[in-house]
Amino acid sequence: MSEFVTGDGRTHIESKLMRESLVDQRTIARTHSDRELSILPNVTLVGIGGQSIFDRGREAVLPLVEELSEIAGKHKVILGVGGGTRVRHTLSIALDLGIPTGGIAQLVGAMEEANAVFLNALLAKHRSIVMQREHFWELPLYLESGMLPIVISIPPYHFWEPPPEGGPLPAHGSDFGLFIHAEVLGMERIVFVKDEDGLYTSDPKKNKSATLIEKTTLHDLLANMPSELILDKLLFSSWKTARHVKRVQIVNGLVKGNLARALAGEDVGTVITKN
Amino acid sequence: MRSTIESSLAGATLTDSAAPGINYQPEAMMPDVKVLKVGGQSIMDRGRAALFPIMDELVLAKDNHKLLVCCGGGTRARHIYSVASDLELPTGVLAALGGYVPRQNARMLQMLLARHGGIFMLHDDFEKLPLYFRLGCIPIMTGMPPFGYWEKPTETGRIPQHRTDAGVFLSAEVLGAKRALFIKDEEGLYTDDPKKNRGATHIAKIGARELLKSNLPDLVLERVVIEYLTRSRFCKELQIINGLVRGNVTRALNGEDVGTIIYQD
Repeated sequence: MSEFVTGDGRTHIESKLMRESLVDQRTIARTHSDRELSILPNVTLVGIGGQSIFDRGREAVLPLVEELSEIAGKHKVILGVGGGTRVRHTLSIALDLGIPTGGIAQLVGAMEEANAVFLNALLAKHRSIVMQREHFWELPLYLESGMLPIVISIPPYHFWEPPPEGGPLPAHGSDFGLFIHAEVLGMERIVFVKDEDGLYTSDPKKNKSATLIEKTTLHDLLANMPSELILDKLLFSSWKTARHVKRVQIVNGLVKGNLARALAGEDVGTVITKN
Repeated sequence: MRSTIESSLAGATLTDSAAPGINYQPEAMMPDVKVLKVGGQSIMDRGRAALFPIMDELVLAKDNHKLLVCCGGGTRARHIYSVASDLELPTGVLAALGGYVPRQNARMLQMLLARHGGIFMLHDDFEKLPLYFRLGCIPIMTGMPPFGYWEKPTETGRIPQHRTDAGVFLSAEVLGAKRALFIKDEEGLYTDDPKKNRGATHIAKIGARELLKSNLPDLVLERVVIEYLTRSRFCKELQIINGLVRGNVTRALNGEDVGTIIYQD
């Protein structure tokens, strides 16, 4: 039973953090644990590229929809989508207008939401559903009934986007958003579906001598970061302090069967592991 | 074939914050708004004795200033974090749970200020601020930013690093306000927690980088706020005042340097 504690002009509830300053590093350290609860283990998050898949239209999207329809019911999967070229256009106009960084963060999510509606229109007959912003607690219902929930990918930091380092663009983009989504629910695997075979030593669209990195660890990647990445930089720095996500895989969604193989546990594309 | 829209960023990689080739000149949305925080543990948990005199000052100031009032959490938030940690819940869930308490506090404050134009707002109402100010209202919201389940885990511990101080600072930053005001129950920043260490001395003015370098165990405000202050574009000063001393709120709103000022150095 918790007791009320008074005597210093404030009314406290007895707890381990009572009267503590939550900005005191000694207090924060006392809440540490290596045994954090995994809320939805054995679920895989699949992120589908905006520019790389959606902006290619039916030739890329329809085969992927077919593949997803076969996956529904077989694997517990949560889907996220990127916004693609319309996000870039939004950023370009907003920057020219001098919209503050938080204002830009408020805007960009709309473009991926449109892609989520596109995907849901195509997948609805195969049991997809667009999950509202933070309706996490409906996920067991969807997953247990073999549905494919489509979640938002850009995190809702909105007007409150922290001041970014090294430029004006919001740092918390869609790859990071899906990563943190998987992490908070205790999911161990994320598969990103793009239009390249995986992560290369440099951008293969610009540099023909770029070579594919088939398997690496987060540690090795951070020590030797390629100059151009296929995923948000922030995903990798946040992964360092994450507790649950063990494996991030990048596959080429233009090759039929790749996503199914990745979900079956095969090392197709690029596999990055935490350790 | 990708179908692309022609724009200055159409071919850019965009995996970090850089926007190559763009001359960015940000506009301040509402630079004259005074964003202030009413502390949870420091003010709300003291009840009437602490809160009512502060409300009197806010009511007197509201026709001269546009006030955006944000609330902290306090002891019930500490209880939630403590129970949630005991149950091994992750940081993002703690952040979502921690959001309930400052929202309760904001609602209580709204009920007390309703007859003076106090209006409760959600994050999604942020774009209605111009309307509230035009009507002479005092908008009141949670200090917590809307990160919730999307809060990043930290290296050590699992108390969310963005709490109500961060939300207040980030509100000021996006509005383009130069200074954010934090109403607490101490004169500001000390060399240690003055409630536990009597030898702690007061710091009237200090730069954000200088403060981070000093590596004090207790920073009076959330550490991320001080870090963000080193690179913010609009909000360049944080003021922490003792709201238990009558007149401090009015003096701070009029631009006086009472309490502690932490500035971008």
